[in-house]
Amino acid sequence: MAEFNASTKDLGEVSVIYLQGYLDAHTAPSLENTFSNLIEKGKYCTVVNFTELAYISSAGLGVFMAFIEKMRENNGDIKLSSMSDKVYNIFDLLGFPLLYEIYKTEDEAVNKFIESKNLEK
Amino acid sequence: MKFDIPALKINQKFQTFIVLSIVLFGFKLFAPGSDSITYLLINDLLVGFTVAAFIFYLMDWIHLKKINPLSLVMNIGIFTAVIFLLITFSNTILRGLSTENNIYFPKTGFIPNLVVFVYSFIILGSLSYIFLAFRELYSLKQKRDINTYFNTMVVFFILASYSTLLQKSTDLLYIKDTFFIISILLIIINSIKISWIAFIVKKEKKILLFLSIIIAILFVSNLVKNSGNNNANLLVQFSPALNQFFNIIGIYGAIYFSILFFTTLFHIPTAEAFDRKAQEVTSLQYFSKLITEVLDFDDLVKTITDIASKISNADAAWIAWQENGGLKSVGNNSIGFLDADLITSFVAENKNKYNLNETVFISMDKFQKKSQLGESFSNITVSPLRAHNELKGYLLTGKKNNFLFDDEDKNALDTFSDYASIAIENSRLFEESIIKERLEKELDVAREVQRKILPSKNPNYEGLSISTVFIPAFEVGGDYYDFFEIDKYTFGFVIADVSGKGISAAFIMAEVKGIFESLSKTIKTPKNILIKANEILQRTLDRKNFVSAAYGFIDLQNETMLISRAGHCPIILLRDNSIENLRPSGIGLGLNFSDHFSNTLEEIKIDLKENDIIVLYTDGITEAKNKLLEDFGSDLFEKILIENCDKDADYISNKVIREVTLFSQNHPQHDDITLVILKWKQKLKIDGEKEWQNSTLQPKI
Repeated sequence: MAEFNASTKDLGEVSVIYLQGYLDAHTAPSLENTFSNLIEKGKYCTVVNFTELAYISSAGLGVFMAFIEKMRENNGDIKLSSMSDKVYNIFDLLGFPLLYEIYKTEDEAVNKFIESKNLEK
Repeated sequence: MKFDIPALKINQKFQTFIVLSIVLFGFKLFAPGSDSITYLLINDLLVGFTVAAFIFYLMDWIHLKKINPLSLVMNIGIFTAVIFLLITFSNTILRGLSTENNIYFPKTGFIPNLVVFVYSFIILGSLSYIFLAFRELYSLKQKRDINTYFNTMVVFFILASYSTLLQKSTDLLYIKDTFFIISILLIIINSIKISWIAFIVKKEKKILLFLSIIIAILFVSNLVKNSGNNNANLLVQFSPALNQFFNIIGIYGAIYFSILFFTTLFHIPTAEAFDRKAQEVTSLQYFSKLITEVLDFDDLVKTITDIASKISNADAAWIAWQENGGLKSVGNNSIGFLDADLITSFVAENKNKYNLNETVFISMDKFQKKSQLGESFSNITVSPLRAHNELKGYLLTGKKNNFLFDDEDKNALDTFSDYASIAIENSRLFEESIIKERLEKELDVAREVQRKILPSKNPNYEGLSISTVFIPAFEVGGDYYDFFEIDKYTFGFVIADVSGKGISAAFIMAEVKGIFESLSKTIKTPKNILIKANEILQRTLDRKNFVSAAYGFIDLQNETMLISRAGHCPIILLRDNSIENLRPSGIGLGLNFSDHFSNTLEEIKIDLKENDIIVLYTDGITEAKNKLLEDFGSDLFEKILIENCDKDADYISNKVIREVTLFSQNHPQHDDITLVILKWKQKLKIDGEKEWQNSTLQPKI
């Protein structure tokens, strides 16, 4: 069984989830838990860092679909960052760039959140 | 006719006995009594043979019926009593029937002889039975074969009996006395072997105590009554040797039952402990049998608590089972769930205080909520239940009214909880295997659904050759492809991949098929078909699921292809030794239900040239993995396609699949593999509708 790990870093308003290993039907529930925990805590601004992610399956993609609405309803978002070409290709094929904001680096994504928050104020 | 051989043998023994009896009676009747040694010898030998024949007959009979020791003792008692009555009242009874002086030895007359004969025979028979019963008691619960002791004793019994015939000459009297003394010594030695009393329960021991003293007294009084005036003694007159045998058996009985009485007396105080131990063993035996038979968790915990309370003499027992991070009381035996829960939570709170690696005693005195208990449990035991070194829960037993548990209880519970853990683990494994089996059945259904959904054969066109390969993954990956005859000039194709796996993917796939099947008939462009399909899927797909799809029309008349792609892998156009990945933009079906979906969905038109190859595939090909978890990848895929672009569709698809299979041979396939290759052969010579109709769109069957 391929390994998967999701860990969260709290940057105040923005939370960053770091993914590692293989995200597929068997490991997807672990990421679902991570998202649920964030929502429970009222953290709706999330950046997902894909640097260490080796593989993502369709079930893995489904996890983002399951939570994006909830995040956006609460004035937040899921922004994706730091994908390898291979992982980006999978997202790209499915048309995710049309649905999600995908950034080259984590900082870019985090700054985007901060900018939009500042605009609101 | 078929005879039962052992039965026949018994029959023969009985016949021998009858014949010998008749001979003996004849001898008694016709040979007048004499004191001569010859007469006595013949008489006593005849009696001896008759007794032997009867004993051998009875022996088989006793072996046929399994008699327990207590009823053997009871039978000995009855026959001893019979002999007692016969001897006590012999004088009165026989005198009433006879007119002769020597009532025990009638000189003439058939009837008086018969009466004495039958009277003696009843004693003889009873004696034989008692002898045999002793033999049975002797061999009970004897671990080794020590029949030699008993047989030696029997030999001396016979020698002692027959040596009485020598008493006429006083010189040889010492022989008789020697045999007699040796016989008594052997009796004492053999009477000590009464280990069987340890194996009977306390109640039976009490009965045995009572019986043994009565029987011992009966034997002694028989002995006393039988000795005395030789002339007034029935047995001496009948056969001196039998009389001696009677005395020896009498002594045997008196000694045996006296020893039995005292041994039983000393066993009574420990009888209860012994019974309990025996019950423990029986319970454990019963339980170890149960382990393999009871697999239902609820039944099992009930059995476990039932046995636990028995072996520890507790008033109640239950199991605190680890569930959802807490302890839950299950299988409550003689305890209400409220009490059980209260005590369980007390144990859970204090589990670090006690060394719960083995059975521990906990006094309820320290339990603050003791007053809340419905019943006055004063002491409990807690034994851990482990499987694979993992704590699964605790087995608890409780005693009321300040009764204490002892070390015996602890040992029993320690052993028992080990057994119980194994049984529980077994039942859990069994449940798991059932779930696994159900899952596999489900997958069988899913595979069957998928197989039925996919086209059973490819349509056949003159201008277009079609090759398809589909290799399902064990878990059913949700791949789907299909072809539609839109109208005479239009060929429709679709390839899709449902997210997720197994039965849920199979059902979505079935729905997707239905959607495309019906939309293909009414909607004229791939883009609009996908837009409509997305709308319809909104009603059924949950947020986590989506479907990637690519839809295309080939206009056979105008040699054009229209394609739209909703999140699927690119459509490969192989033309002039080069690859073009057609990637019109589009979001996967089910990912977005707003206008965004239709706004971003592109449709592209391609003019087809001769020998154009269109390749449709799912990511099962490009993501096929080898042992090092490397992907097959699109580069290798494209390389193979280019190298073989001059071949026909079947050749190319076979080649690709062979390469993929070779690449991933050491790694299990975890997604469906679908490959559809369309090869556009030539422009059709269409001069009119008629010719077109004749040449194409008629599937060749």
